[in-house]
Amino acid sequence: MIGRAPRWAIAIMGLIALVWIIPLFGIVVLSVRPVGETMLGWWRLDSFTLTLSAWQRVWDRYPLADAFWTTAFLAGVSTFLTMLLTPAAAYAFHFLKFRFRRLLLIVIINAFVLPQQVVIIPLFRLWRDMGLMDNFAAVVVPYVGLSFAWSIFLVKNFLEDFPKDLIEAARIDGCGPVATFRHVVLPNMLSPVYAVGILQFLWTWNALLLPMLYLRTHVPLPVVLARVAGTYDLNWDLRAVAALITTAVPLIVFIVFQRQFAAGSQATSGGKE
Amino acid sequence: MSRIDLVDLNKSYGIFEVISGLNLSIEDGSFTVFVGPSGCGKSTLLRMIAGLEPITGGDVRIDGNRVNDASPIERGVAMVFQNYALYPHMTVEQNIGFSLRMAKFGKTEIAERVSEAAKTLQITDLLKRKPAQLSGGQRQRVAIGRAIVRDPQAFLFDEPLSNLDAELRVSMRVEIAKLHNKLGATMIYVTHDQTEAMTLADKIVVMRHGAIEQAGSPAVLYNDPANMFVAGFIGSPRMNFLRASASANGVVLAAGPVLPMPVSDQSDLRVGIRPEHFIVQGESSRFDMHVDVVEYLGGTRYLYGTAPSGEELIVEARDLGSVRAGDSVPVGFQPDQALVFSGTGDRIRTERQ
Ligand SMILES: Nc1ncnc2c1ncn2[C@@H]1O[C@H](COP(=O)(O)OP(=O)(O)OP(=O)(O)O)[C@@H](O)[C@H]1O
Ligand SMILES: [Mg+2]
Repeated sequence: MIGRAPRWAIAIMGLIALVWIIPLFGIVVLSVRPVGETMLGWWRLDSFTLTLSAWQRVWDRYPLADAFWTTAFLAGVSTFLTMLLTPAAAYAFHFLKFRFRRLLLIVIINAFVLPQQVVIIPLFRLWRDMGLMDNFAAVVVPYVGLSFAWSIFLVKNFLEDFPKDLIEAARIDGCGPVATFRHVVLPNMLSPVYAVGILQFLWTWNALLLPMLYLRTHVPLPVVLARVAGTYDLNWDLRAVAALITTAVPLIVFIVFQRQFAAGSQATSGGKE
Repeated sequence: MSRIDLVDLNKSYGIFEVISGLNLSIEDGSFTVFVGPSGCGKSTLLRMIAGLEPITGGDVRIDGNRVNDASPIERGVAMVFQNYALYPHMTVEQNIGFSLRMAKFGKTEIAERVSEAAKTLQITDLLKRKPAQLSGGQRQRVAIGRAIVRDPQAFLFDEPLSNLDAELRVSMRVEIAKLHNKLGATMIYVTHDQTEAMTLADKIVVMRHGAIEQAGSPAVLYNDPANMFVAGFIGSPRMNFLRASASANGVVLAAGPVLPMPVSDQSDLRVGIRPEHFIVQGESSRFDMHVDVVEYLGGTRYLYGTAPSGEELIVEARDLGSVRAGDSVPVGFQPDQALVFSGTGDRIRTERQ
């Protein structure tokens, strides 16, 4: 903390926050009022009824519970795999020497510039030929694979500042590359790994495109939300409910872990001053 | 305990040769100090012995066995780093015991050895702390503790005290000397510090541009340097080098005095005299020094000034009355304490030397 913020700054921050919160508030209001009352805007107060019928109907009509578990499973597994593999890959790229290291790194990082839409069709064919359509692997594999572009980049950048002395001390103490990673590097790079995990979780939780195309039986929440929105009924109340259910978890995750985002850069002390 | 031999050792980074054709024997149980100007390859050489740096050519032998491709642990060496390199997420206890854990020692044996090492270094009450909660001196002790638990064949130190303040450096230096006496292990020590080198070493190795200029005991390097570089590097303040030329009478200093030494005809000579070898107002070869600055250090004084030839001069004056800046004082030296060098810096020895 560097002194108190001036009043005008607080006022501006408040205004910005308000602009962000109003739509969210609107969605909540939409979800608890009948469609008829909110046709001309959720803020209209011509008549005002509170009802949970939209929540009831969405729950009855759409497989929300199933979708919730599907989303949790997909996002959980993808996040876990990314958090497991990214630090190992970043460590290897940064500290170990092997053939084609540079080339491989360039290829992986360059997937960053590749829009998802480009890989959809080839992947679709591949999954169909392999019989993986409607299999969770069909989305988890690209989720994890595509995440490497940014996650390895992020963690490797963090490792730029990692004290080389520590790696050498580990070698002197009898560690091979794997033991060095496990006992010395990994415990000191938890914050970027958490940051990667949070980003990956948010991204996979909200992902729509891949599951919509590759999954049929069990689909995640964003797909259900799209289905709710895709009907031609006047169902703003239902959409609002689905949107709230979908965003609830990412919102909670973000609020709980927001400190990890801020902590990202300050963790490497390494024994130097 | 072990003897280390470096045979025709080479190291290059690409085309840049850092160590070239270096030969050195380090006796079992000895304390060897590498000194030399920054960038001369001291750390590189130490890291090659440690097994952290691949060897381009030649051999490193420990007890006669070639260990070029062995890992640090197989070589049985332990290293203490300048920046301590303690694992920040481990307590002092875990830091010290880490190498034993990696070597699959039992829990009780690890605990015993760690507490033994901690006792030696007087850090027993710090065992539960993390490195971030330690002072610089305490961290360095932990780093040394990490080296001694393994009971290694040889200890390698790369400027271990250079991050400490002057007072702490002195006391740690004494402790390292004690540790060497106690353990009797081979130690190799890199430093910039004259005093550390002179006080700790059995053998000092003076390096320049990746080669050894001279290796020998501190006394030999001080009294009988092989060339001007070593003469200038060892001793503090630095040896004075005065211009001179050879004549039929001997070596004639530009400053005036003549050394009765038969030196074959060479016009461009240097005569080296240490500040502490001058006798102010003494008897022997004399000339007048113009004093610019007097530095008073309690027990002794240093006079900074110029010789009659205009060359700069540092003279230690222990035992005389008042000398002030601006004075002219006669200074003299014993001819046999003056060393003669050729213009290219090689030592020219007379019969007596
Ligand atoms: N990875 C590297 N690539 C290229 N050159 C290097 C590398 N490491 C060191 N050098 C060069 O090797 C030479 C010797 O370096 P070294 O660190 O051994 O010097 P030093 O004697 O320990 O110096 P100091 O007293 O400053 O620590 C230097 O000229 C340095 O520039
Ligand atoms: Mg060095």
